[in-house]
Amino acid sequence: MEKVVGSPREWIDRNESAKTMLARVLTARPLLLLPPLHRVPLRVGNVVELVGTSPSAKTHILIQAAVSCVLPKEWNGVHYGGLDRLFCLNVLGSLKKIDQEHMDFDLWNNDTKKSPTYDEELYSLCMRRFLFIRCYDSFQFLATLKTLHYRIRKEQELHGISVHILMIDSIGAFHWIDRASTFMPLGATNRKTPSLQTVSETVVQEIRKLLLLHPMLVIATKATIFGDRYSMETKRNLGKLDTSNSRSMSSTSLQLPYREYMPSVWQMILSFEPMTMIARSIFQNGCSHHRVLWINLLSKRPVSSWSHELREDLVCSLGSFLISNMMPIKST
Amino acid sequence: MEVGLDIKFFQRERRKKEEGGVLIHQLYIVLHVTTARGERGKCEMAPLKYLEQEYPILDSNFQNFCATHGIFSEEDLLLHDLHVLVAFAEQQSTSERLKQGITQVLSIIDGQHQPWLNGMELLEDAQLNKHVLSTGCEGIDLLLQGGLRMGQLTELVGASSSGKTQLELNLRSQIQKGDCQVQLLIVDSMSSLVTPILGGGGSQGHALMTSAGFLLKKLAHEHNLVVLVTNHTVGGEGGISKPALGESWKSIPHVRLRLSHDQGSSIYNVSVFKHPSMASGKAARFTIYD
Repeated sequence: MEKVVGSPREWIDRNESAKTMLARVLTARPLLLLPPLHRVPLRVGNVVELVGTSPSAKTHILIQAAVSCVLPKEWNGVHYGGLDRLFCLNVLGSLKKIDQEHMDFDLWNNDTKKSPTYDEELYSLCMRRFLFIRCYDSFQFLATLKTLHYRIRKEQELHGISVHILMIDSIGAFHWIDRASTFMPLGATNRKTPSLQTVSETVVQEIRKLLLLHPMLVIATKATIFGDRYSMETKRNLGKLDTSNSRSMSSTSLQLPYREYMPSVWQMILSFEPMTMIARSIFQNGCSHHRVLWINLLSKRPVSSWSHELREDLVCSLGSFLISNMMPIKST
Repeated sequence: MEVGLDIKFFQRERRKKEEGGVLIHQLYIVLHVTTARGERGKCEMAPLKYLEQEYPILDSNFQNFCATHGIFSEEDLLLHDLHVLVAFAEQQSTSERLKQGITQVLSIIDGQHQPWLNGMELLEDAQLNKHVLSTGCEGIDLLLQGGLRMGQLTELVGASSSGKTQLELNLRSQIQKGDCQVQLLIVDSMSSLVTPILGGGGSQGHALMTSAGFLLKKLAHEHNLVVLVTNHTVGGEGGISKPALGESWKSIPHVRLRLSHDQGSSIYNVSVFKHPSMASGKAARFTIYD
């Protein structure tokens, strides 16, 4: 897309100043604050993955994000602080009672803002901004992705606002089915056989195209499916993480308790390393709660190429939050 | 068509594991036939030439154009980049007609997925159709906020003689007689059907297990059923028993309950492994009278 320059001078001259560039980028790709992941610099256009065994509150975080997304900033004088945008949820496999939780969340939001009555109009407005679809196999998922552009355009015309978040729950749902599908190759040799690799490539391709047309944040959850051989190690590390209470720690012994199974083409599209959620039940005040730790590896820096030992410092940020009775989330 | 394919790669597994194999085969066929009967927008991936009868714009010229790009059926279309195809179509002499064909095909693809819903529609469906079925045991009902919910797949994990079958009998007696609608589907036990085909290093066993799980959830949602499956336990790390069927199965059921039984008494313990709206670890006790 480079325009032809007339002289070398023109080529050296700047296109825009840093100020205009930042102004442009920050409006086109705004930062999104989604509790409880508000410490992670999520921007529109990023692709994020949340990993954890089952159960580890991944879907719960999605719902929390959904509620923040559809609530308006202000309504009838009450400040809700939401993002005031549309929200798309793509469920692979099946749904877990999302509507009930959603309703509870909205009611809770109403209560905490001390509004005297349950605002029916606001509630139905927000619920209509939540778009949802189920897919029962990879082909249905691909069909959805291919037609998502038109669907989003239609909804944007209807509501007058854009889509900010697309969620996929969960991305590895059809992994085994795709892996095992052995279709007889018939006819021409240039025909693509549906396999795990081709399906993943097409999914990534469609998501990239979609992000060009409709910039939005894509969050995918993923369940671990290869057992926790490191579970003992994890428990020890959890203890360390809890007590150390530091925001960043370098630890070469920090092993993640799962094995990566998504093809590399999917891993390339992610903006960050997958965020691991580890949940533990704790008992407090006679009720059981979920304490969830999330770990996000931000960067890997090789220490020095001169030293004989090749040591990599893993810088990670972590946080924890508490889920009591699956309702309010208190961040610690 | 799908049923035929699954019998094929299932028969490879059968050479190794005879008995258990036949059972999972039958379960899978039954589930698939049941869903096919209730389905509206069928996703049959037809070859392109069969579509010509219904959509005359997908004529032989279009089919030949697609064939040069390796597209012979709807599945191939889904795996292909349609924008690239449009760009190629522009270079042809019949570009207008080809592009119309591609647009037609895109609208066919739009009918291949489930319908989009918004929050209000979901809520309506939940309030009208997805009621709660009491288990007949007060302790469990209190724990589960009323009982088992329709549209959800519930798993009962427990060693043998831990009360699973008694609970199922209780549940069955709760069904209202005279109602023509099917309300409850029990698979007892999922583990004895699936475990024989899980080993062997191939992925067909896991694929069948996850497919069966998804089909059960689909049935639960579309026909508003309570679906209950049972599972047994195996030894885990440090001698603690854990549910069978492995890590992949863990994320499939909506609700997972652990049952155990004190020897000689009629008091049973139930605890929650996983539930969409409560933390795991909550427990209760209940009694079953013979």
